[in-house]
Amino acid sequence: MKPPGVRKVRRTNISFVALLAGVLLPGAAIPAVADNPFVAVAGAEFRSALPARPQAPVTVQRFMLQQHAVTNAEYLEFLKTHGEWRRDAVPVVMADADYLSHWSGTLDPGPHAAPLQPVTRVSWFAAVAYCEAQHARLPSWYEWEWAAAASARQRDARADAAWRQQVLDWYSQPAGAVLPAVQQGPANFYGLYDLLGVVWEWVEDFNALLPADADPEKFCGNGAQNLEQKENYAVLMRIAMLGSLRASDTGRALGFRCARDAAGSP
Amino acid sequence: MRHQGRRLVTAVATLGLSCVVAAGELPTDSLYRLHVSLETQAAQQVGLDLYRGHTTLISMFYGSCPAACPMLMTSLQVYESHLDEAARARLRVLLVSFDAARDTPQQLALLAEQHHTDSVRWSLVSAAEPDARRIAALLNFRYRRLPDQSFDHSLLITLLDPEGRVLATTQTLVGDTAFEAKLAAATAAPAAADKVPNR
Repeated sequence: MKPPGVRKVRRTNISFVALLAGVLLPGAAIPAVADNPFVAVAGAEFRSALPARPQAPVTVQRFMLQQHAVTNAEYLEFLKTHGEWRRDAVPVVMADADYLSHWSGTLDPGPHAAPLQPVTRVSWFAAVAYCEAQHARLPSWYEWEWAAAASARQRDARADAAWRQQVLDWYSQPAGAVLPAVQQGPANFYGLYDLLGVVWEWVEDFNALLPADADPEKFCGNGAQNLEQKENYAVLMRIAMLGSLRASDTGRALGFRCARDAAGSP
Repeated sequence: MRHQGRRLVTAVATLGLSCVVAAGELPTDSLYRLHVSLETQAAQQVGLDLYRGHTTLISMFYGSCPAACPMLMTSLQVYESHLDEAARARLRVLLVSFDAARDTPQQLALLAEQHHTDSVRWSLVSAAEPDARRIAALLNFRYRRLPDQSFDHSLLITLLDPEGRVLATTQTLVGDTAFEAKLAAATAAPAAADKVPNR
């Protein structure tokens, strides 16, 4: 595999500037909370990077996915009406000690959590509860993987070397101290933003993704190994990362967005 | 599956924040903070806290599993066989199936009978999605449905104190001596309470 970050994509530099502006000027002319509509993703049969036995395409039904990651502003609105998820109220079995720890107060995101930045340091349980409150759910891994396979022009760009390099370039940017605001990168085929560029995202069945280093003696079944599509590095990293998490874990670059079944879909 | 998923999503939305917290005095690190619905062999709905007040072994399985699940049952029976009778009488065992479609109450009852489980102290229950996924998340247990309708899943036994706090876990079906020691300690006669005559 080529070392990442060899070629830079101009567009990402622009987004980096935009993110700096957003961070350096918190509170200054910040637009109202961006609408975060649910965008339709057409169903498909595709080959997942996850192993299956027998190796066969998986089917994703048409579904709806939020346009961008849930933001601090959106999450704050949720906390105002769901006090049990405030960081001083949530049980430790459902969110670890770092849950929203970068916020200034329980209901005050403060200077390190700008309104339009993705909310991070949220546990899987918290993400599930947030989505339920929107009458939604987290996307499944297959849904997320399929939505994230799209480039700006193609539904499935995973075999496109240029697109893969672009994804790797995103990953190779320094982690930095601050997260970009949402929707600074390009929209993909469906009009979804930042699936691969900005934060890791929880999926509903994250604990169906067995750790890549799973000890076969500690698992029942032999599909745990041998991830497919080894060239699809960015997705494999996701699987490995999500597969290593506990549901109460939080992370500074770990956020989420919600999904819904498509109305009228079979 | 998506059909079912959709109904469940609706059901969850209706229930609102079903996984949030409870009543009273449960410690913040109690797994019984999670509110889910389990169906027993007797087709009754119970919570994860079915055995609150007792030291409990909990694990997840699916009944049509060809190999590992019978082994799990046997393993639990072997672990508890190392306890003396009084200690064993204090212990409860909760086995949660993540395959509710196939592990019906009748099927669970059949499994319990086949394995001669002690119906006073053991319960085989099933959890539908999304509750099964939540329980797994809570236990750090992993499972995945494969295209042939079998599952890949963890082998994991968790020991809970009477308030639902994790005392120990093991991924070893036989002979984890550290786990055995914790199980023995957790089911030993409570110092004060034991002096009160039971009957």
